[in-house]
Amino acid sequence: MLAYQLVYFVLLMHITRLSLTNFRNYGRLELDLPVGPSLIHGNNAQGKTNLLEAVYYLATTKSPHADQDQQLINWVAMQAEEPVIVGRLVAQISTSQGVKTIEMRLIYERSQSLRNGRGSFRREALVDKRKVRLMDLLGHLRVVMFLPEDVQLITGSPRQRRRYLDITLCQIDPLYCRTLSNYNKVLEQRNALLRQIAEGQSSRAMLPIYTEKLVKLGSRVLVRRARFVDELAREVHRIHYEALTEGRETVRLHYLPGLWHNKPGNNDTDTNGKGWAAWWQTHSQDEAAVAERFDEAVETSFAADLARGATSVGPHRDDWQFLLNGRSLSSYGSRGQQRTAILALKMAEINWMTGQTGEVPILLLDEVVAELDAQRRALLLDYVKDANQAFLTATDPAMFSLDFLRNASSFLVENGRVQLDTGQIGFS
Amino acid sequence: MAQAVLPQPVQRLINELSRLPGVGPKSAARLTFYLLRTADEQALDLAQALQDLIERTQFCSTCFNITEEDPCLICQDAGRDQSILCVVEEPLDVLAIERSRAFNGRYHVLHGAISPVEGVGPEDLRVAELVERVEQGKFRELILATNPTLEGESTSLYIQRRLAREGLRITRLARGLPVGGDLEYTDEITLSRAMEGRQEL
Repeated sequence: MLAYQLVYFVLLMHITRLSLTNFRNYGRLELDLPVGPSLIHGNNAQGKTNLLEAVYYLATTKSPHADQDQQLINWVAMQAEEPVIVGRLVAQISTSQGVKTIEMRLIYERSQSLRNGRGSFRREALVDKRKVRLMDLLGHLRVVMFLPEDVQLITGSPRQRRRYLDITLCQIDPLYCRTLSNYNKVLEQRNALLRQIAEGQSSRAMLPIYTEKLVKLGSRVLVRRARFVDELAREVHRIHYEALTEGRETVRLHYLPGLWHNKPGNNDTDTNGKGWAAWWQTHSQDEAAVAERFDEAVETSFAADLARGATSVGPHRDDWQFLLNGRSLSSYGSRGQQRTAILALKMAEINWMTGQTGEVPILLLDEVVAELDAQRRALLLDYVKDANQAFLTATDPAMFSLDFLRNASSFLVENGRVQLDTGQIGFS
Repeated sequence: MAQAVLPQPVQRLINELSRLPGVGPKSAARLTFYLLRTADEQALDLAQALQDLIERTQFCSTCFNITEEDPCLICQDAGRDQSILCVVEEPLDVLAIERSRAFNGRYHVLHGAISPVEGVGPEDLRVAELVERVEQGKFRELILATNPTLEGESTSLYIQRRLAREGLRITRLARGLPVGGDLEYTDEITLSRAMEGRQEL
């Protein structure tokens, strides 16, 4: 049984070694990682979470928190005048296609234009020591991360919710990732052009070219996101209903394409109010129809866009929401109900990724086990047991069952140093 | 201050060099001291080369490539096909296509690509001159050889819309697999473009 498990593990995606240089509070770290669950324990502010973030960053090229890429560096050699590699994250991974090394370098450059030497960061990605585009790093490692602040997905801004969709989808769909990146470039160009037209610095001759590209790429993004939310919604509903609330509550995910909902002045009666939802339900997977609708929306909002200097419709204005028993979870749900929904979402994410790739993603759980009751904790730890590899942080290992601890490896983190526990833990 | 120790000519060269792309203040200082220590002729040769670069080159008044004499050698060459025109972004693109020996027509250098974000519009490029050349009606075919980037493609589309007319064939370079490349390592978008542009054997 054990030998069989071992072979099974070795073939599936996992990290065998993690090296960090100047990443957060790690000056230098070389760590061999086992398969199966690893418990990372230690006092607060010693670097437990940073370890999970490093893995997340290598898998997604994003920080788990929006807008924090700059803060990833351990601020030491920041006075250098030439470009220097100040941070480095390397993971040796084993996959069904063999062993690979993936690397992310954070390079500090003093910017040429600013005299006073405020520099900027450039990131470089390498696979097997060959430089690749940043987005080619995606797909080598797939992770699902649980954070205590995940509940902000419900209460926070639409931007956070779009970011969640994109990061999750990009891990398994490189074509989506390229399309989205191109869409964002077109959007930026179109907005710049709108401002120049408004200021009389540019003619309108270029506008149709960007609008056409915007609609073409944007409808692909809309269609793909809609399908993803649909697939996720089914899993979320099932897990929430069957496993988490024992049939008492139903939760639904609702995708809100950025083609209607944020335009209260819209007098297009046919697609206004509830009308658009019905339309979307039947057309969300029809790329040509979505493109046509998007095109009309761009046309309608042209005057407003020109005045604002920004494109007001498109997937960059998408949102999605949770409905609990038909009502908005962010407005009407209790804190506890919101947490339950997030737990369902994350478990659904694991199932979805597993279904898409045939492999269970690497799980990263940051202090989330502590806030769950015994029943949900057991449920979540079932997922952990099924994963090829999982990393859990905890200040107090005693909250885990002895049975779980027996099958887990354990690392002690103290002031940027990580050490494998050899003896039993949790019995102090 | 450390700066005051350096003679003014030394500091000036360091400052000038560090304005070049990819050269920081440290590299600039290294290069400057290298030139100080090297034989006088070598440094003066460099100075002369820089002077010639500015004084003896100009843009060809026909195709806007960089040239010593106007019109440039390519535009003067009667042996080249006068009916086919290749539009590129930069002078280095002309060099690349010439090296391929696959093209024997004329060129037109735009000097950039349209990018509203960077404040570059058609009027900042040699587009008006291109329109004028085409309107004289000698060309049978226009090859748009801009870069396969968003900016390059938008520029091509703009030109295509402006110049589409009876009797002028407008083409662009094919997108697809690099010769000698490996299918398995080709990214999805390139591969899907190659699939779209597949050809009869």
